[in-house]
Amino acid sequence: MTDVTTEAAENPLLAGLTLRRIPEPCVISIFGASGDLTKRKLIPALYALAANGYLPEQIAIVGVARTPSSDAEFRETMRAAVEEHGREPFRTDVWESLEAGMRYVATDFTAEGGEQPLVEVLNELDETSGTLGNRIYYLAIPPGIIEPTVVQIGEHRSTGGWTRLIVEKPFGRDAASARELNQLLTQHFDESEIYRIDHYLGKETVQNMLVLRFGNGIFEPIWNRLMVDHVQITVGESLGIEGRAGFYEQAGAIRDIFQNHLLQLVALTAMEPPIDFTSESVRNEKVKVLRSIHTPAPIEVVRGQYGPGFVEGEEVPGYRQEEGVSPDSLTETYVAAKLHVDNWRWADTPFYIRTGKRQPRRETTIAIQFKRAPHPPFEIDHADALRPNVLLIHIQPDEGISLTMSAKAPGHGMTIRPVHMDFWYGGAFRSGLPEAYERLILDCMLGDPTLFTRADEVEEQWGLVDAVAAAWKRERPVFPNYAAGTWGPAAADELLHRDGRSWRRH
Amino acid sequence: MIENATIRAIESELSRLDSDGMEPGECARRTRVLTHVAWVPRRWEEAALAVLGGLGDRHPSRTIVLFPDPEEQRDALDAEVSVERFGYGRGEPAIASEVICIWLRGPRAKAPASVVQPLLVSDLPAFLRWRGELEPGSPELDQLVAVVDRLVVDGGEWDDPAATYGRLGELFERVAISDIAWSRLLPWRRAVARLWPDIAEAQRLEVGGPEAEALLLCGWLRGRLGHEVALHREDREQLERVEVDGLAARPVGAEPLSPVELLSAELELFGRDRIYEEAVRSLP
Repeated sequence: MTDVTTEAAENPLLAGLTLRRIPEPCVISIFGASGDLTKRKLIPALYALAANGYLPEQIAIVGVARTPSSDAEFRETMRAAVEEHGREPFRTDVWESLEAGMRYVATDFTAEGGEQPLVEVLNELDETSGTLGNRIYYLAIPPGIIEPTVVQIGEHRSTGGWTRLIVEKPFGRDAASARELNQLLTQHFDESEIYRIDHYLGKETVQNMLVLRFGNGIFEPIWNRLMVDHVQITVGESLGIEGRAGFYEQAGAIRDIFQNHLLQLVALTAMEPPIDFTSESVRNEKVKVLRSIHTPAPIEVVRGQYGPGFVEGEEVPGYRQEEGVSPDSLTETYVAAKLHVDNWRWADTPFYIRTGKRQPRRETTIAIQFKRAPHPPFEIDHADALRPNVLLIHIQPDEGISLTMSAKAPGHGMTIRPVHMDFWYGGAFRSGLPEAYERLILDCMLGDPTLFTRADEVEEQWGLVDAVAAAWKRERPVFPNYAAGTWGPAAADELLHRDGRSWRRH
Repeated sequence: MIENATIRAIESELSRLDSDGMEPGECARRTRVLTHVAWVPRRWEEAALAVLGGLGDRHPSRTIVLFPDPEEQRDALDAEVSVERFGYGRGEPAIASEVICIWLRGPRAKAPASVVQPLLVSDLPAFLRWRGELEPGSPELDQLVAVVDRLVVDGGEWDDPAATYGRLGELFERVAISDIAWSRLLPWRRAVARLWPDIAEAQRLEVGGPEAEALLLCGWLRGRLGHEVALHREDREQLERVEVDGLAARPVGAEPLSPVELLSAELELFGRDRIYEEAVRSLP
């Protein structure tokens, strides 16, 4: 943001033109170019940016992987990927302009001199495509080869222009490894050059959370322990592990979703207003929340693993029957926890959070449940009829916000019924919502790390996960403990029932 | 068509259409974000309706299209009311967009604001798209400007852009203004801005394009650079060439926007565009 102001001050013709900043010329090198993420998300995102005029003329994309292939094959595969997965209609002219700067380098960064083919291509592109030595390295690679890759990139970084590194999750597997990785990265790159990506933060509705809270005068005064009874955050997936047994057996729900997406949603929900929307201000406030969360007691954390069941009418296997999963696996596919954000705003206001695979439906929501009306003067027909207000933020799908409130049902008696007041994002803003990766890649190209995770955030998140995982080591769970197609184990319901509460009805 | 319509009859028809074809308990989502008023003299009917046809899907709104017909003998309003529903993807509920077309017959054409005001959606921004010639000071324009937040015009629709721009400044203190001709210039302004600082002392602007765009571009440069810039123009239907002191500006990126996209973009703007106002005030 500051850059725009400075540029505009120097160039009076830029005033009023700052709505759309076009990034500087650069080369984006994607490590893991033969992987699914590149085909399904990254190249379609770059195509959408090009189609909407967000990319500079001088841009090049280099796919880097061990798999032997050629420039022509890479272009052909990526074209098919854009046609299949792109959210924009395919336009030959846009594609041709993008593929003109597209190269593929088959190399192994763990081998001696493995970096040389890439270095040569990047230098050549600087000459032929005018990319000025500006480079983004997108690391979509397994943790095992991060280190040699980072070292080689760091040692052969461009002498002119800027360098930025996007690092995909998993960012470590515990606090110690995350710290180690941070140390490795900062040996070769400045923190301002490191972009740890959590694609949830690129979602429009997650960003809208900040607008909802800090752009509307009515919510912030009631967004605290005095008015809020508790908060529920749900990240439910109806899918199983989709062939990712190798990864999932090691990670489990706590490292796959809880450590990053769930804790980021807690931070965005609980944070104090930042003084401005610069990256440091926003991330400072998020870190304060993460530091305020104290380790939940063992009884406040529930883990689960799905057994066979039915999802959308289809019979699905249990986790232990999935291909590649150990038949006596103790990996959790579900986590629920009661968190305490110990600060002035949220003292004694629990945050109940949960995530699971093979849930009845895909749903990410944040529910702010307010305290009940203190003294309703009506004689009501059912004690349960007068429910507390709930502000429900739908992150996905059906992005939007709804407020549940009580209304009198027509008729002579005083019958009260809960009703919804809905704001549906897609119904108010008909332009298609950009994919999270579009926003995040563009932000990185523009040098804006606001929506990326900082080193201290990651370490705080892992600190919490480590504490939970340490307690888990002391006992052997009885798995499976919930059927596929249900909202998790009975113990998760008990977690709230003990407090006289329940998960909200879906 | 509701002949001799009243506001009450229009509202009743809207209510009926809102629930028409729905099962009991079911309704299309009626999130509204604005009221869009369009003033459409007969000459512009076809073009206006073509653009409106593409807008409903982008901006869930209430659109009120006013067709002035002052020559008509009758002193009456005729109206057509429709509710368009747009699905936003497989399995998702439709959203509804309301379109109210009103023909202002005879003397009614002189009091358009009194027709529009009771139909504005409360507490949401109201935009007025004024089609064709703009006459600052005319009673119809004055009335409508007083009840909307933003006036959207297109200098390219005017017979004498220099003269009309000369009077446009009268409105700046009363309403925020969008000019679609100015929007069409956006990629060109970006391209010219990229010529900085080589054009800091520019003296000459050459444009191959329509008069409105050429004037605005020149006014913009004069206003921003703070000195005189001479304009040399070759008439073209669309903006094709811009050179500043012999340096060519080359827009990059997406295809030029369609009329629907241009108007749609204007309906997302709020507040005054001070750079535009400066450009208009600095016209050669």
